[in-house]
Amino acid sequence: MMTSDAEEAFLESARAAFRHDPGIGALGALGVWDLLDEFADREARAATFAMFRAHGRELGRSAALACFMAHLYVAGDGFASGSVAVAMPRRSARRGDVLLLVGEPSMKHVLVDRPGLGAGFVSIDDVELQPVTVPGRLILHELTFAPEDLTVEIPEARAKTARQRSAFLGRIAAAFEILGAAEGALDLALEHASTREQFGQPIGKFQAVRHLLAWARTDCAAVLEASRQAAALDTAAPSRFDEVVKALAGRNGRRVCERALQVLGGIGFTAEQDHHHFHSRVLALDAVLGTSAELARGLGAWLREGRTDPGFPRALLHRGGRA
Amino acid sequence: MDPLHELSAYQDGLEKWLGSSPPSLVAAAVPNPSFAARVETTSALMKALFDEGWGRYGWPEALGGLGGTILHRAAMWDSLARHGVRGMSLFEHVEVLLPTLCAKAKREFVSAALPAFLSGREVWAQGFSEPEAGSDLASLRTRARAVAGGYVIRGRKIWTSWAAYATWCLVLARTGAPESRHRGLTAFIVDLREPGVAVNAIEQANGTDELAEVAFDDVFVPEHRVVGEPDGGWAVAMHILSSERGTFAWFRHCFLYQQLLAHLERSEPAGDGAVGEALLDLAAVTATSYHGLESHAADTPLGPRAAFTKLLLCEAERAVHDRILAGDADLAVGLQDDETAALRQEYLFSRIVTVYGGSQQMQLETIAKQLLRLP
Repeated sequence: MMTSDAEEAFLESARAAFRHDPGIGALGALGVWDLLDEFADREARAATFAMFRAHGRELGRSAALACFMAHLYVAGDGFASGSVAVAMPRRSARRGDVLLLVGEPSMKHVLVDRPGLGAGFVSIDDVELQPVTVPGRLILHELTFAPEDLTVEIPEARAKTARQRSAFLGRIAAAFEILGAAEGALDLALEHASTREQFGQPIGKFQAVRHLLAWARTDCAAVLEASRQAAALDTAAPSRFDEVVKALAGRNGRRVCERALQVLGGIGFTAEQDHHHFHSRVLALDAVLGTSAELARGLGAWLREGRTDPGFPRALLHRGGRA
Repeated sequence: MDPLHELSAYQDGLEKWLGSSPPSLVAAAVPNPSFAARVETTSALMKALFDEGWGRYGWPEALGGLGGTILHRAAMWDSLARHGVRGMSLFEHVEVLLPTLCAKAKREFVSAALPAFLSGREVWAQGFSEPEAGSDLASLRTRARAVAGGYVIRGRKIWTSWAAYATWCLVLARTGAPESRHRGLTAFIVDLREPGVAVNAIEQANGTDELAEVAFDDVFVPEHRVVGEPDGGWAVAMHILSSERGTFAWFRHCFLYQQLLAHLERSEPAGDGAVGEALLDLAAVTATSYHGLESHAADTPLGPRAAFTKLLLCEAERAVHDRILAGDADLAVGLQDDETAALRQEYLFSRIVTVYGGSQQMQLETIAKQLLRLP
């Protein structure tokens, strides 16, 4: 595994890159597109996922996740890096199936995958983008297009493999980005706890406050280690480990934001304070690629119906034994 | 090189042996609420594992083991859990105490003690807490006075797990001034068969008696049974707690996966979400404790980060037993056959896991102070 020092170093440079350019250009500056060509290499994966953590931490505007997921369909097809992004399907409780574009619409084409039929592309100029106006440094669009504008160019047989790979790695990437955003919220709360004084002392001296922050840090540690293990295992990951990692990130990420908000108090609930930017990001990423609630229910049913032993400990030992 | 040093070869060989249903395995897989009976079946299983060699991997060859790394031990207990063994019972202390004994006790002593412990002949207890020193361990008062050839120990320990079954007890005692806090402590290996030792089992609320109170009335300990440096007992204690809070979670959580799965036959679809959440809690322990195993193997102990694993293990243990109770109120009010009584014991124990090995509140303080650097 990439040493945590090397990972930390890459995380820091990725953060600096996004502070300089919060858009998709930062991925080129970081050499991320080249890393994707070496994805069999564990360190390349670790660096790529550290980039997603940095994107969350710095509230990046880019469609990095959607472009990364599209890359897994079109690698080698001659598309310029970052020029295609997946439209993420989700089910609206009110309007049924909708397509969501997460991040700045800087791409040329949108990839739409129709399980059972295959995947195709629509020019960004041929889609209607309806902004989702949630507050926060977060760019979301719902997307519609005329059906005749989509022609299937990736046949189902190939799309099926890409779909699984894209969902697997997309969930891990989303977990890292959720982690970064949750860490951003926690950092705000830590800073506040050290400086805000009440009863003549910093509120971080009160155990009630300290323990909220310690729980938040523990929830982050769980997401970090689980996501790292998933990234290291990659194709050797046990069944549904990506779903576990994504659900854990969504659940814990929300809890971290909630605890941070409690520590920040009223100021944390203002538009002026950054907490809500991080919180909105966590909520948005928890809502795509399977919400934590949906994934947890699915995982529970999987265990109950199949009496399946998930075999997570054994899978990690198997990898460790070979390393 | 021994081919079984390769982890997958070891796992395959062990699976094959377990698949042949050795009688000691079959006996250890039967639910039994009697603590003494569990001690007996687990001891027999440890003896069989030792005799067949499986239980000796992961321990240094120079000390009576067969080499390999902690991953061998991690694989062994995962396999045993999947083959129905219900818990480590008093051999939990193998994973809590032995790593520290290997690192810090006198080699001649450990090379005799390690095989005796692994084969179930001699059991170990851990004498840390005192009536007046629980979370505030550095305030302990048990005294060790230097005499010719060693020390004489006087004082009282409490919540000493498995002392009633143990031959040896790792005792933390004060060798410095009364106010020396953590700087004036030394770790000793005390022979519980010595005159002056009195062990009184404490009957617990769940009907077991794994805990005890141990009184030391001028008990002699020879110099070669000092662990670590004189006045260096705090480092020994921290080494132990790094195992007890970090890597130990791996061993315990392997059984929790199996307990959750076993309960699913009584689970309704409406409970799927909660079962899934319990799986998330278990996966969090798998990931963080595996990181602990790797750190241990690389000889870079987790230090305060072990507190994450300890907190997450407790969360997972409570979540799994919440699911078990939700599907099976017999453990609260039903006729208590062996299986129900064992489930009840385990459920009740899951309500106190946030106390032993450093309370939840102390773990949170460790994180707040040492990792978050709060004021």
